[in-house]
Amino acid sequence: MIEYLYTVEEPIAALSTPWGESAIAVIRTSGGNTLTLINRIFKPFMRRTGDAEPGNKVSPGKIRVSAKSKGSTLHYGKIIDSDSGEILDDVMLALYRAPASYTGEDSAEIFCHGSLAVITRILALLYKCGFRPAQAGEFTLRAFLNGKMDLTRAEAVNELIRSRSDKARALALNRLSGTIERKITEIKLRLVNFLSSVEVRLDYPDEDIEGEVVSEKECSSVENELKQLISSYETGRLFQEGVTAVLAGRTNAGKSTLFNLLLKEERSIVSRYHGTTRDYIEGNIVVAGIPVRVFDTAGLRKGGGPVEMEGVRRSNRVIKGADFILYLVDASFGLTEEDTDFIKSYSGSYGGKGKIIKVWNKIDLKSTGGVKAPDGFLPLSAETGTGLDKLVKRIEQTILHGTPVRPGEPVIDSIRQKELLDRTLDALRRFKRGLKRNDPLDAISVELQEAVHLLGEITGEVTSQDILNNIFSNFCVGK
Amino acid sequence: MDLDAIVIGGGHTGIEASLALSRLGFETLLITQNPDVIGKMSCNPAIGGLAKGNLVREIDALGGEMAKLIDATMIQFRILNKSKGPAVQAYRAQADKTAYSLLAKWTLEREKNLHVFQDTVVDLTTDSSGRRIQGVLTERGRIFKARTVVLTTGTFMESRIFIGEYSGPSGRLGEPAAIGLGKSLRRMGFDVGRLKTGTPARALRSSLIFERMTEQPGDDEMLPFSFSDSKVNRPNVPCYITYTTAETHRIIEENIDKSPLYGGKIVGVGPRYCPSIEDKVVRFPERQRHQIFVEPEGLSTEEVYLNGISSSLPEDVQEKFLKTVPGFEKIEIVRPGYAVEYDYLNPTQLYPSLETKRIKGLFVAGQTNGTSGYEEAAAQGLMAGINAGMFLQKKPPLILSRADAYIGVLIDDLVTLGTEEPYRLFTSRAEYRLALRHDTADLRLLEKGYTAGLKGDEEKQRLQEKIQNLDEIREILKKRKVHESDTAHLSALKHHPGKSFEQALRDPLIKMKDLTALDDELAKRRTKYLKYVELDIKYEGYIKRQKEQVKRFERMEKKRIPEDFNYALAAGLSAEAREKLTKIRPLSVGQASRIQGVRPADVAVLLVLLKKGV
Ligand SMILES: Cc1cc2nc3c(=O)[nH]c(=O)nc-3n(C[C@H](O)[C@H](O)[C@H](O)COP(=O)(O)OP(=O)(O)OC[C@H]3O[C@@H](n4cnc5c(N)ncnc54)[C@H](O)[C@@H]3O)c2cc1C
Ligand SMILES: Nc1nc2c(ncn2[C@@H]2O[C@H](COP(=O)(O)OP(=O)(O)OP(=O)(O)O)[C@@H](O)[C@H]2O)c(=O)[nH]1
Ligand SMILES: [Mg+2]
Repeated sequence: MIEYLYTVEEPIAALSTPWGESAIAVIRTSGGNTLTLINRIFKPFMRRTGDAEPGNKVSPGKIRVSAKSKGSTLHYGKIIDSDSGEILDDVMLALYRAPASYTGEDSAEIFCHGSLAVITRILALLYKCGFRPAQAGEFTLRAFLNGKMDLTRAEAVNELIRSRSDKARALALNRLSGTIERKITEIKLRLVNFLSSVEVRLDYPDEDIEGEVVSEKECSSVENELKQLISSYETGRLFQEGVTAVLAGRTNAGKSTLFNLLLKEERSIVSRYHGTTRDYIEGNIVVAGIPVRVFDTAGLRKGGGPVEMEGVRRSNRVIKGADFILYLVDASFGLTEEDTDFIKSYSGSYGGKGKIIKVWNKIDLKSTGGVKAPDGFLPLSAETGTGLDKLVKRIEQTILHGTPVRPGEPVIDSIRQKELLDRTLDALRRFKRGLKRNDPLDAISVELQEAVHLLGEITGEVTSQDILNNIFSNFCVGK
Repeated sequence: MDLDAIVIGGGHTGIEASLALSRLGFETLLITQNPDVIGKMSCNPAIGGLAKGNLVREIDALGGEMAKLIDATMIQFRILNKSKGPAVQAYRAQADKTAYSLLAKWTLEREKNLHVFQDTVVDLTTDSSGRRIQGVLTERGRIFKARTVVLTTGTFMESRIFIGEYSGPSGRLGEPAAIGLGKSLRRMGFDVGRLKTGTPARALRSSLIFERMTEQPGDDEMLPFSFSDSKVNRPNVPCYITYTTAETHRIIEENIDKSPLYGGKIVGVGPRYCPSIEDKVVRFPERQRHQIFVEPEGLSTEEVYLNGISSSLPEDVQEKFLKTVPGFEKIEIVRPGYAVEYDYLNPTQLYPSLETKRIKGLFVAGQTNGTSGYEEAAAQGLMAGINAGMFLQKKPPLILSRADAYIGVLIDDLVTLGTEEPYRLFTSRAEYRLALRHDTADLRLLEKGYTAGLKGDEEKQRLQEKIQNLDEIREILKKRKVHESDTAHLSALKHHPGKSFEQALRDPLIKMKDLTALDDELAKRRTKYLKYVELDIKYEGYIKRQKEQVKRFERMEKKRIPEDFNYALAAGLSAEAREKLTKIRPLSVGQASRIQGVRPADVAVLLVLLKKGV
């Protein structure tokens, strides 16, 4: 049903800057008790004397955000998940009081670091504490409803909302495969069938309707479908957002050569001198349909000049943010202690995700002839391309490792869908529990209705008329 | 005689409409074809049932009469769905048909300001603009004038009945159709359609062999539908259950071409919900048998009603297939089953007040709006009566929402979606069923009835007492802790040492009546209040969730759309939405969103434009 889409009192939140790595990202929240909700997750830094610079308008940190906070103010502090006590990020928080905001409602903007991991976690925290994901154009819609924009611009938004529900909605649902909408519709249909089975028993008490209302097996089967769809979100995100891979290794290992080979263009400078690459370079490739951002970095070496040391520091930073790294060793030089130390620390406490592909490079050189690659190393010649196929295969495996979805299965790729599916699953579980406890059918039907309603929000609408129609086509009911 | 209001038709609709108007102080004339059949039950001798029982209690809470009529004339009472849950439990009573109808008539006759008159209305009169009602013209040429008219013609407008080859102009077997009005309404530009419904044969009790059937007794305790009746003291007569057989089905199939329905004589659409036995046999060939309830028609008659086997097959076929039913071998039919086809007005032509959009002051209610059932009829009659009264007082109409009452669901469905088949209420039509329990009808609606002017101080006082009682019981349960000694009496309490009774009650194994046995303070309280609190506590989680859903719903209901909103100027609407919105003219964005063909995008556009005041 549509009321979910257009209620204007509910607090909403969404990322306002484009999805992607950037220096900073802006998350916008608006409506309802936004400020009270923000208070639960934002803790201002205590101010030390001397921090304030002349002319800096940042408000003193000890003031907590509350329903009484002043608008048009900027606050410095941290985002904390109060359940776990974990600090997600240091941020700047801009507060706006109605009507002096974009939407005309009380609202807040969080300026956080632009890493996808941080953004995703902050958004998840916001949804957990009471915000719901904003619909496309919803901030703007609210802006109109609150008289913040004139008619000409209102017309433009009409267009926007319309296109959303026709083409864009279809597009969004079909981004990966048309199967997703079919899948959700299929699950919804099964829930509507449950509901019909419940309703017919309620509305025709005198009819002798045989059989169980809904068997536990059927219930669990739908539950599993939902679970699978929800877990496919990870894969969906993978396809949409991609992964980050970093080429690492000592200087002169052939990282830039491999980088160029992967990109199929001469992007990074290659030379026989150590320390050629000074700052990281980024390029995009696609592996198994998944976008991969590849970084070539400065070789890891101690004792270079100050510029090179800065390069190494930067390398370390991108390495930390990587989903996995390709670690290159020059086969003609052999495995050094530095290499083994790095590999050990990376898969341990280095701060990255621990996934590493070890590459034994320059196997074409005569000097390496006959020397077998050490255990766990993939032999490669970045110069001639020998071993590239196997390397790409390994990259693919590394990316897909642990993602639950088999190829060809539908996957969801929006956090809104995921959030709705999560809530559907909750409702279904409450239904199942009620059924088991022998709670009355009319009471537990509330949960089924909730579940159907939530799925309806993803695909379109369900009315009670549909449910009745379903009863009549499937059951014999009489006077 | 100087009239304020005219009500056409003395069925269940007309009764409530005319009583409401006269009780609000208006000189009201009820014109009906035959006063002897006021409040006659055309079909089933029963009132209430799922959703319908709730309607009856809602009618009572608002100040209508139906609950009192059935309380005084019931001959069996049952609570349906006792095992299924709080929201779908419903009262249902068998009625002494004749007693019910006589009491209805007598109630009307005794009402101050209300005048009953025998005649048939053939036309409506309007002022020169044609947009405001002025009065009615009758068959015998009489003209009556009034500022408001309520139309409740039931199954009689241009009606025909069918039994096999036979067909004739009647509204019920033996009663003439009301001819003329349907034509007039079409001439005035109303969208008038045809619907059909049917009724089973009536048989002589002494010709049936009850030993071959299963007895279905009523509940031992008979409870009043009306919140102001404290008890019911009436005879308790059983019903009987039997089933059709393979032979029954064979005979029906063999003769199906003789049915006026399948022979193509009837064009009106019939109800899917109470299909004729022909329909059931054709549509559900896999079913081995269909249930039949044998229900008494009254204390002063030997006729019984054969519920579940309505038919319009030729009389000899009806007799033949009935004789194949266990217990019916020697059946003697008093009246055959038949189908009736009649004119109805597509209800999307009405505002939620039940006033027509076309003609000011003209209200339409009951079967004329495409519904079927006495309770649906009475509920609309009451609302049309109240709103005709509000119209006369130039006050805003009383409109109940889908979260207020089943009446709200009923009327919203009718005026928003319209209907192309006889509409019957089901609990599943209500999204917020847990909020619409029958025992909350007074809490939900009595205040509204009071404000409208149909409920007095005494009833309001009684409501206050109820509220106080419920609060006190809740309080006792909160304070009273489970003692060691309690567990000796009720072992289930072992799992809740030191907890409050309220918490213990959430355990499915613990019932309120177990707890009342342990506490004198509770034992003093009335059972119905204890029951009420028990349901509230046991299903608290679900009720809470429902409340959240209601809140979501109400936000959109509160966004009003002016009656004269110009959809032609609304640039962003789709063509289909524009057409539908112009036709239905919803009063809120919530209502608009329920219209078929109006999509979420259209609703968004509407919200934007409303805010900008285009
Ligand atoms: C054959 C049959 C089968 C039915 N089957 C079912 C069923 O299966 N399930 C169910 O729920 N309900 C059934 N009903 C419907 C139930 O009887 C009605 O829903 C209910 O009685 C409607 O109430 P009402 O007041 O709207 O109309 P009615 O009870 O029909 O009353 C209308 C009254 O208005 C009078 N009247 C009509 N036109 C005029 C006029 N122009 N001037 C003066 N007086 C007029 C009539 O004489 C009549 O007394 C059936 C009815 C019939 C006749
Ligand atoms: N024969 C051979 N030479 C290679 C291979 N890979 C790289 N080289 C050479 O090794 C030298 C260093 O290569 P780069 O790609 O610049 O090495 P790098 O790891 O980027 O070095 P830094 O940027 O200094 O850290 C160049 O002369 C390359 O041509 C290989 O597979 N075979
Ligand atoms: Mg390099």
